[in-house]
Amino acid sequence: MATTNATISLSSDIADNTLTVANTSALYTAGTTTGLNTMTSVTKVLESTNNVDLITTGSVSTTHAYVYINNPSTDHTEYFHIHIGNNVGSGTYDDGTLPTEEIGRLYGGDWMWFPWDVDDDITIKPSVSTPMTVEYQVFS
Amino acid sequence: MATTATITLTSADIAGDPVNVSKTATCTKAGTTTDLDQTTGLSRVHLRSTTNKVLLAANAEGNDLAAKVYIINKATDPTLYCTITINAQTIGKLYAGDWMFIPWSQTDTSANIEIAATNWTASTGDIPVEYAVFHEDTDFLTNA
Repeated sequence: MATTNATISLSSDIADNTLTVANTSALYTAGTTTGLNTMTSVTKVLESTNNVDLITTGSVSTTHAYVYINNPSTDHTEYFHIHIGNNVGSGTYDDGTLPTEEIGRLYGGDWMWFPWDVDDDITIKPSVSTPMTVEYQVFS
Repeated sequence: MATTATITLTSADIAGDPVNVSKTATCTKAGTTTDLDQTTGLSRVHLRSTTNKVLLAANAEGNDLAAKVYIINKATDPTLYCTITINAQTIGKLYAGDWMFIPWSQTDTSANIEIAATNWTASTGDIPVEYAVFHEDTDFLTNA
């Protein structure tokens, strides 16, 4: 099995004393020390403000995966809504009745990393209809 | 007053060629290049609840504002995990040593980030979890 590591280095001088965090996790199958063996890397260009599938549960064959999503834009005013749940296309979302939840907004230059239980799709909604590029990787 | 977050993903053998991805984000206020200026600092809790507990309480005032959340499971037993949920929507399981770093929208006051030590038992010991939030909005977290 493969050896894959995910490292985070955080540094913040917001408070009087600098906060520094550095941690590396080895990516294993659920509850084991067996390395993951599957990786998907995708770059997409989105050209509408519809909420659409980014990573579907059907694209992963396990129930435990890790997801990296990057907004490579240098425009800090443009962002992606990143959701977990069913996509709603051009319809209303996050109205409290749909099985979908916005995790957060990924602004230009931002990235996110999280474990995914592969129960629901990860969906995306660009803030503008002009072409926006999103990059993602899934390890499972 | 900068906060930077760097991710590095490496693998020599998950693909035919080595994987080496590195990206640094400077955490800024929503839609601007102005640095975030508030943080909870790094906190640590020991979990033993197998049902969801609120780790971070959402504040509707945080909607449309930037917040970045870092959470790590500091357990050493690889079988121990925490389930991370936002508004009853499960995101995933943080196994021992796993971390996550996400933007947090707080679309409404139901968008709490909750956590459960799902497979905790009296014999496993508590699951230590560390977390930090970097954010804007002066009133954020006043209802935590």
